[in-house]
Amino acid sequence: MKTLSRENLNLWLDGLAAQQVLIAPHLEAQGVFYRPVQRAQEIAWEAGRPVLSAKEFLFPPSERLLKVEKRGPDIRLEASPSAAPQVIFGLRPCDARGIRVLDAAFVDTPPIDPQYASRRENTLLVGLACRSMGASCFCTAVGLAPDDPRDMDVMFSDRGATLAVQALTPRGEALIANLALVEEPGEVAPASRREVGGLPTAEAWKESYSDARWAKHGERCLSCRLCAYVCPTCRCYDVRDEALPSPPGEAHFERLRTWDSCTREGYRRTAGGHNPRAASGSRLRNRLLCKFVYYPHQYGPAACTGCGRCLDACPVNLDLLEIGGALQEAAQ
Amino acid sequence: MYEPKVIGFLCTWCSYTGADSAGTSRLKTPWNLRAVRVPCSGRVAPELILRAFDQGADGVLVLGCHIGECHYDSGNHRAAKRIPLLLSILEFAGMQPERLRLDWVSASEGDRYARIVSEFVDALRPLGPNTWRISGAAPRADAAIGVPLAAAELSGGAPCP
Amino acid sequence: MSISEAMQSAARDVLASGQVQRVIGYEVGPHGRVRPAIIDRPEEAERLVWSADCTHNLTVYLQRALNGENGRASHEAATPPTRVAIVVKPCDSRAINVLLAEHQFSREQVFAIGMACEGIRQGAPASVPEATLQARCLRCRERVPVVQDVLLGEPPSALPEALPDEALAHVRGMPPAERAAFWLSQFDRCIRCYACRQACPMCNCPTCLFEQEDALWVGMRIAPSEKRTFHLGRALHLAGRCVGCNECERVCPMGIPIGLLNRHLAETVESLYGHRAGMQPVLSPVTGMLSAEESAP
Repeated sequence: MKTLSRENLNLWLDGLAAQQVLIAPHLEAQGVFYRPVQRAQEIAWEAGRPVLSAKEFLFPPSERLLKVEKRGPDIRLEASPSAAPQVIFGLRPCDARGIRVLDAAFVDTPPIDPQYASRRENTLLVGLACRSMGASCFCTAVGLAPDDPRDMDVMFSDRGATLAVQALTPRGEALIANLALVEEPGEVAPASRREVGGLPTAEAWKESYSDARWAKHGERCLSCRLCAYVCPTCRCYDVRDEALPSPPGEAHFERLRTWDSCTREGYRRTAGGHNPRAASGSRLRNRLLCKFVYYPHQYGPAACTGCGRCLDACPVNLDLLEIGGALQEAAQ
Repeated sequence: MYEPKVIGFLCTWCSYTGADSAGTSRLKTPWNLRAVRVPCSGRVAPELILRAFDQGADGVLVLGCHIGECHYDSGNHRAAKRIPLLLSILEFAGMQPERLRLDWVSASEGDRYARIVSEFVDALRPLGPNTWRISGAAPRADAAIGVPLAAAELSGGAPCP
Repeated sequence: MSISEAMQSAARDVLASGQVQRVIGYEVGPHGRVRPAIIDRPEEAERLVWSADCTHNLTVYLQRALNGENGRASHEAATPPTRVAIVVKPCDSRAINVLLAEHQFSREQVFAIGMACEGIRQGAPASVPEATLQARCLRCRERVPVVQDVLLGEPPSALPEALPDEALAHVRGMPPAERAAFWLSQFDRCIRCYACRQACPMCNCPTCLFEQEDALWVGMRIAPSEKRTFHLGRALHLAGRCVGCNECERVCPMGIPIGLLNRHLAETVESLYGHRAGMQPVLSPVTGMLSAEESAP
């Protein structure tokens, strides 16, 4: 395997941060978050999974899609600027998988989302394997592993004084081309993994639609959206036009896109006022079926990476593993 | 030289007419106040005032009828209850309390109107521009949640004293 | 009989006798986390527990439980229960009074299982047994619910001294510029998930002002200016109504000290109007007319 000394890694990261945006896990008072950092020493090496996923760097919480300026009969449209190059370092396999899942909808399936695509082209994914799984992690239940390198451009594994490195894509190879890698015998020790079962198959999820207990499961849901906002793959958004301060005689406005969630009470309300998903149980069912049935049907991958953030974030301990297990039991 | 931008919420029945009265009496009133006519001072929701500050107002003046004289009976009571609370939370969030004032002006009190507006603008001028507004037209294309804003983006102008 | 057993027994009785059709309480879920439990049948009462991890304010479920909103997965109408039992801590019980004053339901519709509370642990709903009490519990002046149909647990013989609000004093003590920067850095972290609003029993507007589609009051952008207006505006809407349960702060994924805004206004309301939310089922004077003693500016 190829390895890199920690000292050289830090030097390399400092260099990356000087040339472009370097995003890495960073410790703040309230927890670890993926954040732009200026120096390798700002990186939280020993931290667990960051509180939020890395999707905000490709799909920001809010962004301007375009600006419209109307002067008399003339209308001028200004598209948003293209993205600056960025490298996400210390990415967890679950979060890299989340980005691949989003790619399936935003880039791989027409129509291509220009904002996401522009950021995606300018982003390199550099992973750091988890050494073990956290208490709420269940990546193994969705076919991932804590050290799974498949979705990265480059993958690092921490071995203490050195790190093992492998490039997975041509862009990844180019990125590490000038690193002082040392060839060492042996293989990278696999991360300790915990097998987690309990997730039904897509067919089983689909069959559960008419299970009366969805109502029960959804009873304590607060429709707070935390699960969707911390999730690496949830990507529903709202688009609105808002007026901008304009010079006299002109009308300027911008088209904004912000994060939204199907768990919001009014998410599915139609223009006539009817709300087919007024009941919280139906919204919970929709969110889980979207992940395991609708999304794979439309785009390919299941929209869950087993990161476990929803389990930690939910204020009322709604647990999709528990729900999935209960539905499976009912089916049997 | 810096001149404060003041948004004045004037109620139709008393203070707006009072302002008119100041005008017809040729009383000198600072031009800094941009009047927004509302049916009643009770209509002035705290969110409207917050929006005025968000969009760059240096000061907000809310003028209604004297207590007991409201055209709608108790609308000015609502203003009297809400605006002190708004002042309290704005001050707690770091804005100078001198930038928001509630007062009463009747339709015939043109001189009182002129005096209150002059006092208000004079008190604002030494405070400098309001730094409440977070300037910058569009978020940065690569802005992530919680990236600390550069100091320049936080202040709308001169630093807060 | 332990308190949990007493609670289970009380719940079983009111369900079996038909006094209530639903009980809202606490249970222990997977990973040992305490969470809300909504039960309909006497046999389910054995799920209920009481512990120092019962942090949730269950009154957030009351309105929808009474409207038959709970327990639906489709839009066909359900028969709403006529009466619901709910487990309430002292802080939670004050919320019942606020909602009663605002006519969200009537007193007869609620059977309050009051808990004499010795405080909730930090880290709840799943904390280690040695964890200290939450700061809001150390400041509690009640310890016994103000609304109850049955009281479980031992009320304290003397009310302990409520600790002063150090965090609030600290922020108030900052010079204005520092305070402004402090709050902006807090709001900057906000992701506008609205978990604080959803967890709050008093935030029950069908459409939240700050999410209205015409963006008249505040834009939809997840940016500091809009987020600041949301938080300050929401605190204003809760002035005289917030009971200090601190759920808003607990559920925030970004650790924003939202409670400070509400506690500041609660103190302002108390000093201006002598009103403390939820001690009686009366409306906050904030929305009323000036009293004879109050003068206008």
